[in-house]
Amino acid sequence: MEEKRIKVLIAKPGLDGHDRGAKVIALALKEAGMEVVYSGLHKTIDQIVNMAIQEDVDVIGLSIMSGAHIPLTRKLMEKLKEKGIQDKKVFVGGVIPSKDIKLLKEMGVEGVFPGGTPIDDVIEAIKASVKK
Amino acid sequence: MDPKAQELAERIISGDETVAARVISMIEDGEEEGFLVLSTLYPRTGGAFKIGITGSPGAGKSSIIDRLAYLYGKSGKKIGIIAIDPTSVKSKGAFFGDRLRFKSAEKVEGVFIRSMAHRGFSGGISKAAFGAECVLDALGKDIIIVESVGVGQTELSIYLISDIVVTVFTPDFGDEIQLMKAGLLEIGDVVVMNKMDMPNAEEKAKDLIAYIGDLKKDAPPFIKCSAKKGEGIELLLEVLEEKRREKLGMRREKVKALLLTFIKEELSRGIEKMVEEDPKFNEILHSVQSGKIDPYSASVHFVSELLKDGKMEDYKWRRKG
Repeated sequence: MEEKRIKVLIAKPGLDGHDRGAKVIALALKEAGMEVVYSGLHKTIDQIVNMAIQEDVDVIGLSIMSGAHIPLTRKLMEKLKEKGIQDKKVFVGGVIPSKDIKLLKEMGVEGVFPGGTPIDDVIEAIKASVKK
Repeated sequence: MDPKAQELAERIISGDETVAARVISMIEDGEEEGFLVLSTLYPRTGGAFKIGITGSPGAGKSSIIDRLAYLYGKSGKKIGIIAIDPTSVKSKGAFFGDRLRFKSAEKVEGVFIRSMAHRGFSGGISKAAFGAECVLDALGKDIIIVESVGVGQTELSIYLISDIVVTVFTPDFGDEIQLMKAGLLEIGDVVVMNKMDMPNAEEKAKDLIAYIGDLKKDAPPFIKCSAKKGEGIELLLEVLEEKRREKLGMRREKVKALLLTFIKEELSRGIEKMVEEDPKFNEILHSVQSGKIDPYSASVHFVSELLKDGKMEDYKWRRKG
């Protein structure tokens, strides 16, 4: 019937209200042939995990500008495990100081994209992670 | 029976959302396992009431669904929502933004929302949408609402996979000439005019009512709504429930048309490659390309030759992938 397509959830957790970057990424991924679900602003981690389950996405991309990326990501990784869907690949983008990248990766995050990362790098990283 | 498919089916029936979502993906991707699960589930389905919502982009389909799902949910019903969006012709990707509008629905217990790309299937739905309905039905949903792509005049397939179709208009639907074109109004079992909060709404509603009255002997119910203000949705729900029994009687006819659609699609998929490899095809193609014969006559000729030769038996069709 159809070949497998990569499906991605672009999620905005927490309080920050800036989603220009998230939308730019979402459109770029669509142009790269992926099916992209956008969560909308101010989602809780529970809502994001629920969406990831129902949409059966391969990849969750968190877009965080608020500085709360460490606790939000930690909570997401815990919830994924609790729900038994830790096979979803997680990426984090936004305002992320380079000193935090190591810690995020230790939590199990597949890749981190601080502001200014070329979009092609994001696309390649997502494709590579799903192939694994 | 395939034991793994059996197990997945049982998990769906026991309410496992993760498995249900996974199986919907399998059906979308054409994985055999998905169809095995579906055929196990199928005899257990039919309990859910399937409501299709169609209308032009921006008419407010998602907002109406949001309010409707909320009302149904409050009355204790379990809701499934399938939101279908277009696949990009160029990249084959898709962007789903409808979840943003399901804010009230999300608050209700037991709502399952799934976005699907139509992946080139005709008629404003995805081929897998019917399969997704079956999975959600087996998962225990009482009401399944399907939102079609909303490209306007080619939305007819939504009719085949819904028990009842709601067509959504807005006061800026254009003029009578738009309505005279075949399409949306023909399949609407219920017609809604949304955005009644717009300034010229009453006048345009009168125009639409008058037109529908002229068009059909038994005109469909007409409901004025403002999804933004939450007005008219209770009435919509009442009308849907009122028509429910009558509409369920049409399932046998609809599933026949759906089966025919799938057979045609499966046949053409299987046969296309074989035809291209047939030397006779290249012959006749050459005649068309060099202007000796027109493509209409060529196609009729080609197929009648094929059937005469008994050659159809040589064609083996199988599902791709």
